[in-house]
Amino acid sequence: MTCQKFFVALLHWAEFIYVITAFNFSYPITPWRFKLFCMPPNTTHDVVLPPGISKNTSDLNGQYEAAVEAKFNSSGTYFSNFSSKPTVHCCFWSEEDKNCSVHADNIEGKEVVSTVNSAVFQQIGANWNIQCWMKEDLKLFICYMESLFKNSVKNYDLKVHLLYVMPEVLEESPLVPQKGSFQLVQCNCSVHECYECRVPVPTAKLNYTLFMYLKITSAGVIFQSPLMSVQPINIVKPDPPLDLRMEITDSGHLKISWSSPTLLPFQLQYQVKYSENSTTNMRETDEIVSATSLLVGSVLPGSSYEVQVRGKRLDGPGVWSDWSSPLIFTTQDVIYFPPKILTTVGSNVSFHCIYKNENKIVSSKKIVWWMNLAEKIPQSQYNVVGDHVSKVTFPNVNATKPRGKFTYDAVYCCNEHECHHRYAELYVIDVNINISCETDGYLTKMTCRWSTNTIQSLVGSTLQMRYHRSSLYCADVPSIHPTSEPKDCNLQRDGFYECVFQPIFLFSGYTMWIGINHSLGSLASPPMCVVPDSVVKPLPPPSVKAEITVKIGLLKISWEKPIFPENNLQFQIRYGLSGKEVQWKIHEVYDAKSRSASLPVPDLCTVYAAQVRCKRLDGQGYWSNWSSPAYTVVMDVKVPVRGPEFWRMIDENTTKKERNVTLLWKPLMKNDSLCSVRRYVVKHHTSRNGTWSEDVGNHTKFTFLWTEQAHTITVLAVNSIGASLANFNLTFSWPMSKVNIVQSLSAYPLNSSCMILSWTLSPSDYNLMYFILEWKILNEDNEIKWLRIPSSVKKYYIHDHFIPIEKYQFSLYPIFTEGVGKPKTINSFTQDDIEKRQNDSGLYVLVPIIISSSTLLLGTLLISHQRMKKLFWEDVPNPKNCSWAQGLNFQKPETFEHLFIKHTESVTFGPLLLEPETISEDISVDTSWKTKDEKAPTAMVSLLLTTPDLEKGSICITDQCNSADFSEAESTKITCEDESRREPSVKYATLLSSSKSIEIDEEQGLINSSVSKCFSDRNSLSKDSFSNSSWEIETQAFFMLSDQHPNIISPHLTFSEGLDKLLKLEGNFLEENNDEKSVYYLGVTSIKKRESDVFLTDESSVLCPFPAHCLFTGYRILQDSCSHLVENTFNLGTSGQKTFVSYLPQFQTCSTQTQKIMENKMCDLTV
Amino acid sequence: MRGGPLCQFLCLWLCLSCVEAVPMQKIQDDTKVLIKTIITRINGISHMQSVSKYMVTGLDFLPGFQSVLGLSMMNELLETYQKILINLPSRNLMQISNDMENLQHLLQLLASSKGCHFHQAEGLQSLKGSILEASLYSTEVVVLNGLKAFLQTMLRQLEFNPEC
Repeated sequence: MTCQKFFVALLHWAEFIYVITAFNFSYPITPWRFKLFCMPPNTTHDVVLPPGISKNTSDLNGQYEAAVEAKFNSSGTYFSNFSSKPTVHCCFWSEEDKNCSVHADNIEGKEVVSTVNSAVFQQIGANWNIQCWMKEDLKLFICYMESLFKNSVKNYDLKVHLLYVMPEVLEESPLVPQKGSFQLVQCNCSVHECYECRVPVPTAKLNYTLFMYLKITSAGVIFQSPLMSVQPINIVKPDPPLDLRMEITDSGHLKISWSSPTLLPFQLQYQVKYSENSTTNMRETDEIVSATSLLVGSVLPGSSYEVQVRGKRLDGPGVWSDWSSPLIFTTQDVIYFPPKILTTVGSNVSFHCIYKNENKIVSSKKIVWWMNLAEKIPQSQYNVVGDHVSKVTFPNVNATKPRGKFTYDAVYCCNEHECHHRYAELYVIDVNINISCETDGYLTKMTCRWSTNTIQSLVGSTLQMRYHRSSLYCADVPSIHPTSEPKDCNLQRDGFYECVFQPIFLFSGYTMWIGINHSLGSLASPPMCVVPDSVVKPLPPPSVKAEITVKIGLLKISWEKPIFPENNLQFQIRYGLSGKEVQWKIHEVYDAKSRSASLPVPDLCTVYAAQVRCKRLDGQGYWSNWSSPAYTVVMDVKVPVRGPEFWRMIDENTTKKERNVTLLWKPLMKNDSLCSVRRYVVKHHTSRNGTWSEDVGNHTKFTFLWTEQAHTITVLAVNSIGASLANFNLTFSWPMSKVNIVQSLSAYPLNSSCMILSWTLSPSDYNLMYFILEWKILNEDNEIKWLRIPSSVKKYYIHDHFIPIEKYQFSLYPIFTEGVGKPKTINSFTQDDIEKRQNDSGLYVLVPIIISSSTLLLGTLLISHQRMKKLFWEDVPNPKNCSWAQGLNFQKPETFEHLFIKHTESVTFGPLLLEPETISEDISVDTSWKTKDEKAPTAMVSLLLTTPDLEKGSICITDQCNSADFSEAESTKITCEDESRREPSVKYATLLSSSKSIEIDEEQGLINSSVSKCFSDRNSLSKDSFSNSSWEIETQAFFMLSDQHPNIISPHLTFSEGLDKLLKLEGNFLEENNDEKSVYYLGVTSIKKRESDVFLTDESSVLCPFPAHCLFTGYRILQDSCSHLVENTFNLGTSGQKTFVSYLPQFQTCSTQTQKIMENKMCDLTV
Repeated sequence: MRGGPLCQFLCLWLCLSCVEAVPMQKIQDDTKVLIKTIITRINGISHMQSVSKYMVTGLDFLPGFQSVLGLSMMNELLETYQKILINLPSRNLMQISNDMENLQHLLQLLASSKGCHFHQAEGLQSLKGSILEASLYSTEVVVLNGLKAFLQTMLRQLEFNPEC
């Protein structure tokens, strides 16, 4: 029994060992594809076979059986008999194995495993391709099964299952699992006749051994694979590489790069399949590399490159990934690398280029670069990298200016004189975006603003603000932190983006920048760091008040400190007169504890507006807004500065002993009353009654009875503070009313609103306090007007509305301490002013008369001239018969000078005068002309304005002078006439001598000298040409003028302007007692001819327009009596005409008396 | 657990390295300004303007303090109040909580200049959610009152250049 038990135990042990041995014979799954061959059981019945089972199974049955029989019972197992269906023996075969592992059921229902020649199964049975792998995520195990025979056998009830088991513990030699431990997974048919079995594998068990087998059921037949085993980590199949790309390096090589999967715990190796197809070259390369990029040689223009990459575990078994999608890279005839550049302003960028022209690559030395087809890039920026690669560098690039939709600069690589149409694109973005931040007054919110309006190069980019907050303060140099947060910003109406941080960390550093996302990449603006505490804009100071301090008179402004910030603050006050447009004045307060300021203001009785703002004393942050304005209230500040100025009116109708005196005063202005007057008080003082006061209220007139010798009055102004301290006194004294110290008083009107008065005083022993100037319209009983004038003043301007046609009475009262003195009264303006007005009024009458007369005269002269020419030319002998005229062409004389000069050259002047013709009837030389040389050649206008001796000059002093002027208006009449140049060169000269000698005053001499100075050329010509003194006299006679015609050429002087000029002389005439001086004006008209005439008439004081350009252009001076006629022709100034004196002895003139100016006549001596 | 102090030290060191150029006087001034700012903020909260001086019981988690405080104690109290404030859901306290965080960093900066090393404050164990939910108003008033008193004391102490 013991032996039997021993043998039984031995038998079981042997059986156990057998099983172990059988399972250890599991098929190791390879990383590559293997085949599964299955043979039906030894029956030849024609069954409907599943896909993959060959039809010729029966034909080969004998061979199959023979093969099986040969190695039967070589191995077996017990567990395969799990169903009653017939089981087919299968075996695996891979490219490395020649034998197949066969499973078969024996009679006892146990499966046996044997090995047969795989060639047998290749000919018969069902065959599948199988590949198993672990996905890249290392979580899913997949077995993929594909039928080898693509016959048309009907897929009849085919089911595929995978049974697997994963041990719980990692073992180096795992035991064969029990039958019941296998888990069943159904395999799904993903595509036609392909099945995929998925087994989830925990990541922690990637190194465990996975046991499994396949069971294929079809038409009641079960095909069962041998047991398979695998460690999942050894068959990991990565995903294909991503992001495959090709680019050209700076050296002109093609670089293939890709991205590796990031999930795998091991490195990968890559296989690159690359082909190049160009006109000159065809090649294919297959390389295995461990890096994620590969350089494949120089790139060629006009070529096509195709590349694919796959990956596999580098240092261990694994499965190749699928190939990546093929990437095709085609190069153009002109290759730019990089083809596009995105950069920031100020950086340096470079482009490379290979240029192919007509199947030939251009030498890099012949390549030139252009920008935007408009600007050739200097060759200094070129570099030759190789034989065919040219490089251009742009240093310190500026921002691209968008041109329409083109937001880049086009960079062209050209072959000497031609450029290919392709170009590189340069995008230069100005990223200098300024971000400004401001913390609110409550220190809870920081608002940052930035704008891109001014940056055109940002068009097309998307912007986003990013920031990083440090715990405290900012770094010295802000930098872009790798961990940043985006910040939403809102676009405002003003084009700014506004980003709000709330709540804030007051002392943290916020580093901010703008991220710029462009289609070519990303850029960032320079980062800036802000501590919210340093950009606080405080709230405006609250409780601002303004007032004018009583009795001090200062503008006091008070305020309170805003609740935030807690730092020391400085304040700024602005104040000004309240109104629509306040003229602000600024006052700074740097004392942080100060809460008020008192400021002096000029006007205490006006409403002032004041505002206050604040800022941190250390200068950080911003000024707050101005507080709401505070206004002062006008109220009495002090007692009135002074009492009112007052004057009196005395009722003359009363008796001398008692007079009614009415006091008048002007209401005090605010500046004097500070700021209002409640009432006035009149204070009396007499020697008999002492002092008493009377309250007048708000009236400005008060009447009292003056009965005593002296009565002193004081008027006080009273406001809410008190009575004025400084007041004016006026003493009415009988004795003093006879004291006369005002010697003279003169009034000169400046214009209708201003009058100037001057006076002279005689010495006095009395204490002169001031003057009262009183004026009114004469003979009218309207109110008087008065002014208080300080005692030191000698002249005074009165501003009033003066009516020119009215006469005024002016009275100047000296006010002494002892009483009111005797006034000086004048009743009208000065005589000069009256005359001036008269002259001015006559001006408007005479000017039209003169103009019309001039026109008439001109017409008369023209007619006379024509008539005389016609009349006399018939009797004129042929001048060529004269001895002096030999050789002269009178038909075409060059000039009269030439005529005369030639004459003097050929014949002396003396004999000419001996000719029988009479030159002139009478030549009178007045002795007064002798004085002319003694006069200084002073300009006449300046003479009028500056000479102190006007009474000796053009200004007539007395009325008698005026009358005498007119009576003595006999003087030389000088008539000047010329002919047109186109006329024959004949000049008619008429010399009229005056019947009387002429009184020539000094002024005429002055005029003569001054004009002579201007006419120096003409005079010199005369003197040179004539030795006879009569000609000198003739010349000078031109300037003979009567004294009532001052003949002073002066600018137009109006009523006021004339007095303005006089006022400049006031230092002279005001102090010269009553020497009234008459002011004379020169009457001058000008005619725009070569020779203009000037008519001086009796009414020559009429002011005529006298344009400056007409001065001295030519004169015809006429007087009542004409005794001489001297032909003088002047050509002065800028007329450019030549001066000449014509003389023809054949013609003589006789004098003609002309009684009036307008009746000038020209006479010929021959008549 | 051991990594906590290390991380805190590293953070502090990082913070110090960033602001090493900041003068100590500025740090002191900013600390005082921030304390005053927090006090003003507390005073500005509407229900904190008229608080009775009655003792409120049941809120024993609030830290007590003495009239003389060292920098270390200040830091602990700040951290405790900071944790309480974070647990209070009032919007009014978000800004104060941020200010407290800034204040704590400033205090640590100030202490580091004197060679003081702070210990991490122990977790707040007794602040129970049930109390917050049931007595939110009371808690907020009492906490803010306590915080204000503490800050006023701290402000006075900073004038005397306190020790660690």
